[in-house]
Amino acid sequence: MEAFLGGMASLGDPFVVFMILAGTLIGITVGALPGISGSTTIALMLPLTLGLDPVVSLAFLGSIYCAANFGGSITAILVNAPGDPSASATALEGYKMAERGEAGMALGMSAVASAIGGIFSVVVMIIAAPLLSRAAYNFGPPEYLALALFGLSMCAAVGSDNPLKNLIAAALGVLLATVGIDLTTGVERYTFGFYDLTDGVSFVAALIGLFAVGEMLDQATQQMGKPTLLKMDAVRVPGRAEFRKCNRSIWLGSVIGTLVGVLPALGATAAALIGYNETRRWSKHKHEFGHGSIEGVAGPEAANNAAVGGCMVPTLALGIPGSATTAIILAGLIVQGVRPGPHLFTEQPTLLYAVFASMLAANILYLVIGLGAAKLFARISLIPASLLWPAVFVLSVIGAYGANQSMGDVWLMMGFGILGFLFRRIGFSPAPLIMGLVLGAMVEESLKQSLLIFGDGVVAGFAGRPIALVLFAITAVGLLAPPAYRLLSRMRQPQAREV
Amino acid sequence: MSMATPRRLGRDRWAALCLAAFAMTAFGLTFTFDSMPASLMEGLGAAEFPRLVCLIILALSVFLFFASPPSEEEVLPEVHSCTWWTLAACLGFFPLLGLIGMLPALFLFPVIVGRLWGERRIMVLLASSTLVTVTIWLLFVRVFRFTLPGGLLGDLLFG
Repeated sequence: MEAFLGGMASLGDPFVVFMILAGTLIGITVGALPGISGSTTIALMLPLTLGLDPVVSLAFLGSIYCAANFGGSITAILVNAPGDPSASATALEGYKMAERGEAGMALGMSAVASAIGGIFSVVVMIIAAPLLSRAAYNFGPPEYLALALFGLSMCAAVGSDNPLKNLIAAALGVLLATVGIDLTTGVERYTFGFYDLTDGVSFVAALIGLFAVGEMLDQATQQMGKPTLLKMDAVRVPGRAEFRKCNRSIWLGSVIGTLVGVLPALGATAAALIGYNETRRWSKHKHEFGHGSIEGVAGPEAANNAAVGGCMVPTLALGIPGSATTAIILAGLIVQGVRPGPHLFTEQPTLLYAVFASMLAANILYLVIGLGAAKLFARISLIPASLLWPAVFVLSVIGAYGANQSMGDVWLMMGFGILGFLFRRIGFSPAPLIMGLVLGAMVEESLKQSLLIFGDGVVAGFAGRPIALVLFAITAVGLLAPPAYRLLSRMRQPQAREV
Repeated sequence: MSMATPRRLGRDRWAALCLAAFAMTAFGLTFTFDSMPASLMEGLGAAEFPRLVCLIILALSVFLFFASPPSEEEVLPEVHSCTWWTLAACLGFFPLLGLIGMLPALFLFPVIVGRLWGERRIMVLLASSTLVTVTIWLLFVRVFRFTLPGGLLGDLLFG
């Protein structure tokens, strides 16, 4: 309780409040810009936070994360171009509402549902994260190995629609995590004599390169046309009738979003799409879907913002990122010397509760800002790509340089930028690679420690760890069940034809 | 979307071959790591884990090769010439930086690339570039006290 109050008291610090406000404004702005996602922005902003106190830095990044999801819905509704991938489900119904002249109502419902979903998940996070960390306090290396492998297996569902490519990207990330001096033996691996690589691949350079520079090169190929903004009335706070209609969708979205967020690797985009489908399934007004249903805006918006708090639960309690964006935040914390995990709740509880408090504040702030200035933020989507993306490269250079004030990192960023472009071109996604890069060290460390603990009796050793066994079993089922199902379906098809 | 002709090897199969070659190279490189005396070795050494990961990548690449028939691949639009020019500008940024320093190079980059991306209003480009550069200077040089590389020009002018 003392730590909780201490964390909440951090909101009394004007600098923390200023950073939350700045993070919220930046989040809504970039969320509204098609092409620049919350993860790209957090990667770009990471170097700025390295010199700050971890509480302030987490509050800032957490606010961007919360607000970017909401910001994405503004352009999804008004331009039919989701500013953030997590708003793609919102565009399905929101744009139809805007075409009908109900843009103000769609934006109002989006802001309110987002805030309710976000606040719900933060409350769940406040309750669940300490419980999960208490349960995980007795975890040893075998359990962490099983957990990290489970997290990596979930990468199959992240990024591109080809699970095999996602797993390859995650494995490449794990291999990249081995670059540098091996901490147990002191042997240099894959450094090729470059001093800059002895500490491993710079997280910041890799993140900025993959997400920002890679995206810029991809945007140059796409050469997006100038978006057209639909006319809108003033943003309207939903009335009692709208609330009654959307009540079930908002709560369904909030619960689904939080649960999907808690699962490692799945993030806000998956939550929004599942939220949309379930909202439609349980709606009493199914016929309205596809023609501009307000429930179809409320459900996915509540879900994608609820996923933010959900994603933070495994990130903070276990050190396993809940999504690509939390993987970036996790990387930032590691660079600052803070290692998230169960011990964080006993060693730095105030830091954690300050994060919870700041996310709560960010959810309330974007509700106020969203209702008041959505029209203004929508205009941001009209900034030409020819001005926007070169500025992103400039920020990328200074961001990569700033982390260690090293030109080696800028070259590394450029290399990762080209890799990120090639990845997108051949249908791979950079998100699983980042997950692999972040989880790689944990996998290697826990594998080595497990083997040391068990000595010659490895099989018997793992057999005596029920939690690890259950996690291994879930991982195996998750990886093998979909291809096995596909194979069975293919085998049945010719038989059915013969009959 | 049009489909690729089945005769081609296909994009995914090329990717699988490249990944397999990469994994085998990375596997081979593990034999160049310094070795530890056997008496000091306990548990996994420095090379075993990367080897394991390389083998996993190799196995997944083989799966990708056989799971990706070229006939099912969509034909991608060609890379726009603007992308190549942007990439060239990004790579040209480094020698320019070495010559005139980071801040002037950061000022010139948005003007050149903005023009490549189709912005014809030079005053808009200059204004936007000035805004970005001044913001960076204020934030990173004045507030965060970063020392940005001055380049040959900076060394000549300011020592």
